[in-house]
Amino acid sequence: MGNGPIRKRNHAAVQWQGKKRSARKRRGFKLLGILDVQNTPCAREALLHGAGGSAVAGLLHFLVTSRVKRSFDVGFAGFMLTTLGSWFYCRLKNAKLRVQQRMVQEGIKNKILYEGTPLDPTNKPRPSGPS
Amino acid sequence: MAYPLQLGLQDATSPLMEELIQFHDHTLMIALLLSTMVFYTILTTVTTKLTNKNMLDSQGIETIWTIAPALILILIAMPSLRVLYMMDEVNNPHLTVKTIGHQWYWSYEYTDYKNLEFDSYMIPTQDLIPGQFRLLETDHRMVVPTDSPVRMLITADDVIHSWAVPTLGEKMDAIPGRLNQTTFVVSHPGVFYGQCSEICGANHSFMPISVEAIPLIHFEDWSTSMLAKI
Repeated sequence: MGNGPIRKRNHAAVQWQGKKRSARKRRGFKLLGILDVQNTPCAREALLHGAGGSAVAGLLHFLVTSRVKRSFDVGFAGFMLTTLGSWFYCRLKNAKLRVQQRMVQEGIKNKILYEGTPLDPTNKPRPSGPS
Repeated sequence: MAYPLQLGLQDATSPLMEELIQFHDHTLMIALLLSTMVFYTILTTVTTKLTNKNMLDSQGIETIWTIAPALILILIAMPSLRVLYMMDEVNNPHLTVKTIGHQWYWSYEYTDYKNLEFDSYMIPTQDLIPGQFRLLETDHRMVVPTDSPVRMLITADDVIHSWAVPTLGEKMDAIPGRLNQTTFVVSHPGVFYGQCSEICGANHSFMPISVEAIPLIHFEDWSTSMLAKI
């Protein structure tokens, strides 16, 4: 009973923190003030893959050659290629998905519009009877 | 809708605007990576200790930095042209709305079935009720049904205006003596705002556009009630 008010206060504080966190999340993070990484589809994945690819490429080159500056160059090239590759692959996949989504929506709309009519797309042609 | 200090595009309310945003993101990523590459190149060039006063040309690098930009431009041009031609498609509009720009208000005409015409003036700041948006609200909104292709015929009465609604991806000049056509489909119900986008005099900033999208059944009720008022 003595803990009742304190528990209520903590719960309210946790709720307020949650709201602040979700508001921050909705605002998004803008890379260089331009690219909204969180709200642009595929941007976050592309940049993370790029960062990983850059680290791996640069590190591998350094381990093989022990040249620091050239490893940085290789790492940067790895970043560019990995980011671009991941970006285009993800965007292509999303574009195909969007096309399929539109086809499905059109199909559902047509089914509703033409249900019970001769134009119903689910009507199968009846086999012709014996002559 | 727009918010203060906004840098990016508004959220899409039409399929066309979704495509435009996709293209924008695609081009922005390419531009961002190119800028990063140029910055890195400048940084390494400025900080290098290597100097060669005898290097005059190099066929290899010249070939690379001729072909690579051409490929990048093709990569940008292909989706650009796709969206450009998509914007010009006219896909069996269910409704035609005519809008005429005046100094300084818009008028709308729905003449498909019966003659419904009305003017749309900005609500002055002192007459706004709490919750309304300053310089964006109008006394009569242009109402359209959702999920229905709408054809807009745009012209002007006096000087050049421009009918623009960013969230629909629409902007078309209203030119006296000329009829411009555009089509759009509103994906979900709501109220969407725009502003005149061609300088047209003292009150150019005070002739906004507001579009209200409602389901078709309610649109029919609205048009009946508007005709009854007139």
